[in-house]
Amino acid sequence: MQEKILSIENLSVRFSLRGRILHAIRQVSLDVYKGETLVIVGESGCGKSVLNKNLIGLLDSNGFIDNGSIKYYGAKPDAKNPDLYGEDEKGTYADLAKFKKEKDWLKIRGQEICMILQDPMTSLNPLKTIGAQIAEAISLHQGKKGKEAKEAALQIMRDVRIDDPERRYKQYPHEFSGGMRQRVVIAIAIACNPKILICDEPTTALDVTIQAQVLSLIRELKEKYKLTVIFITHDLGVVANIADRVAVMYAGDIIEIGMVEEIFYQPKHPYTWALLSSLPQLGVKGEDLFSIKGTPPNLFAEVKGDAFAPRNPQALKIDFEELPPYFTVSPTHKARTWLLDERAPKVEPPEVIRSLNSEGGAANGK
Amino acid sequence: MLKYLAKRLGRSFITLIIILTIVFVLMRQMPIEGYFPNFDKMTQEQIQNGLKLMGMDKPMIVQLFNFFKGLFLKGDLGTSRIYRNNVAVTEILGPKLPVSIKLGSLALIVALLVGLPLGTVMAKYKNKLPDHLGTAFIVFIEAVPAAVYYLFIQLYGTQWLHIKLIFDINDWKAWILPVFSLSLGNIAYYAMWLRRYMVDEMTKDYVQLAKIKGVSSTGIMFKHVFRNAFVPMAQYIPTSFLNTVVGSIYIESLYSVPGMGGLLVDVVKKQDNNMVQGIVLVFACVGVVGLVFGDLLMVLLDPRISLGSKGGHR
Repeated sequence: MQEKILSIENLSVRFSLRGRILHAIRQVSLDVYKGETLVIVGESGCGKSVLNKNLIGLLDSNGFIDNGSIKYYGAKPDAKNPDLYGEDEKGTYADLAKFKKEKDWLKIRGQEICMILQDPMTSLNPLKTIGAQIAEAISLHQGKKGKEAKEAALQIMRDVRIDDPERRYKQYPHEFSGGMRQRVVIAIAIACNPKILICDEPTTALDVTIQAQVLSLIRELKEKYKLTVIFITHDLGVVANIADRVAVMYAGDIIEIGMVEEIFYQPKHPYTWALLSSLPQLGVKGEDLFSIKGTPPNLFAEVKGDAFAPRNPQALKIDFEELPPYFTVSPTHKARTWLLDERAPKVEPPEVIRSLNSEGGAANGK
Repeated sequence: MLKYLAKRLGRSFITLIIILTIVFVLMRQMPIEGYFPNFDKMTQEQIQNGLKLMGMDKPMIVQLFNFFKGLFLKGDLGTSRIYRNNVAVTEILGPKLPVSIKLGSLALIVALLVGLPLGTVMAKYKNKLPDHLGTAFIVFIEAVPAAVYYLFIQLYGTQWLHIKLIFDINDWKAWILPVFSLSLGNIAYYAMWLRRYMVDEMTKDYVQLAKIKGVSSTGIMFKHVFRNAFVPMAQYIPTSFLNTVVGSIYIESLYSVPGMGGLLVDVVKKQDNNMVQGIVLVFACVGVVGLVFGDLLMVLLDPRISLGSKGGHR
């Protein structure tokens, strides 16, 4: 078993919106292991980003954690704030769910957990040179100043493959293309020297060829700097490219989680089936592409049973009544669906999923 | 950059000529009754003589030519006729101009030194007590007629500082109240806009990234947001300097400051043509130079703006 670096337990996040309460994250539990790449997939609005913003204390001001804990096993405890820290069988941890003050978050942000944002065009300060922005992160977290910081920044710029770093160091963001800016953003993240790197759809705003370059860059840097990567995306192609493990989110809950092969070739939850079936690559020529009917549930109202049931044509009666527990498929694979209960009738996954399944058995790879 | 500046100053010069020409021509469209206080009792001959004395008997184009010839060759703006009879305009404006400029500059510096920090604090504590207090101050300054609080400041301020009501140019203490009064409007203005721009900037992604990087919120304010929010305001500063100088009419009359704030209105009413032209020249110079200076300030602050090269490199 690998070493846990982060453990989210029963996390529940709500937002108060115009006098109503929206339940965005519904009792999510998730473990992240050191050195892995965990991809969180799901459609827009399922809570992928909200979940991750909790890890870095950037939840919007109308959002709040009302239950659960986020145990981060990397931080040194702070004697002044003993109640923020705890100890269990895996060692001391910082409970990020209890972090409130900016002063406390400054010990986590950047140096422990860092994040790459979606849109590189807007995530750099337009009035500061690229070099200054990278060096700022270095001086904050590596204690280097002046020339030393510049040297380190240049090294990182070489690592993210920015050509001619000496010249580029003095340039401003508007002199960079989108792909290059995302490299700069990645360089800033690396410069913080974090243990966990969260990538919030870092390739969505880029075109496909640049996407591939950025993905391989992230993979490479992960090895070089021994990072743990949490990758958020709704692009299943990206998932196949980068993931070790995949968590599928739906309506603020993780409904299935497993190794990437398990999710692609032996998916168990009807939502995962539907998601995979809607891959355009799996479409049959001449037929309409598959799409999931209906809309995600209204999170202002309390969701009863399996959140996906109303959109699932094969839903069982119990799906509407009771939330299914996680059923273990393999030591690394579990899914939250009543179909895995031994009393459940046999429901076959759609044809395309079965064909994937047999392919996976033969090819056994990405 | 230098080429651009030369071009820009050349154009400014043309602008000045145009402004002066327009003012010159307009002033000469005024009814001639206005030049003579006892017009009704004068004979036709006396009137003609009077006009001749002012050089107004010649055709307009010749008058204009003579004016510019005097201005460029000798720096001569003519003599005042009514405000102070037969005294050169330059001689009248000479001692007044520095006083007004000094008053305006001091007021502007105070406005920047107080207004910018106020705006920053308001933005940092948005929707909290400092923000509300600041907003109350701004609303008060903008809504209450300036004359009201100017009077109060004069009355209570002079008592409190133990100084005379009347301005004394050589006493530094006497400068305090006029400068402070004059800066109030700009303090409110700078605070209001800086707060607004900063709040705007703080929602941007790069601020989010700076937070993620681990920069403290104070650090973000000063290292990232302030400069970015200041750029759109920078251009306004030289213009606001001009407004301060011109707009000091009330303050100058209240404290009897020997400046030139109220002078323009006064001499226009009296149809003292040469004085009007002289003052307009001064104000137009300040305005035009202010605009150039404002643009230069923008270039210094924002690397995305480049002057001169066409289209820039985006």
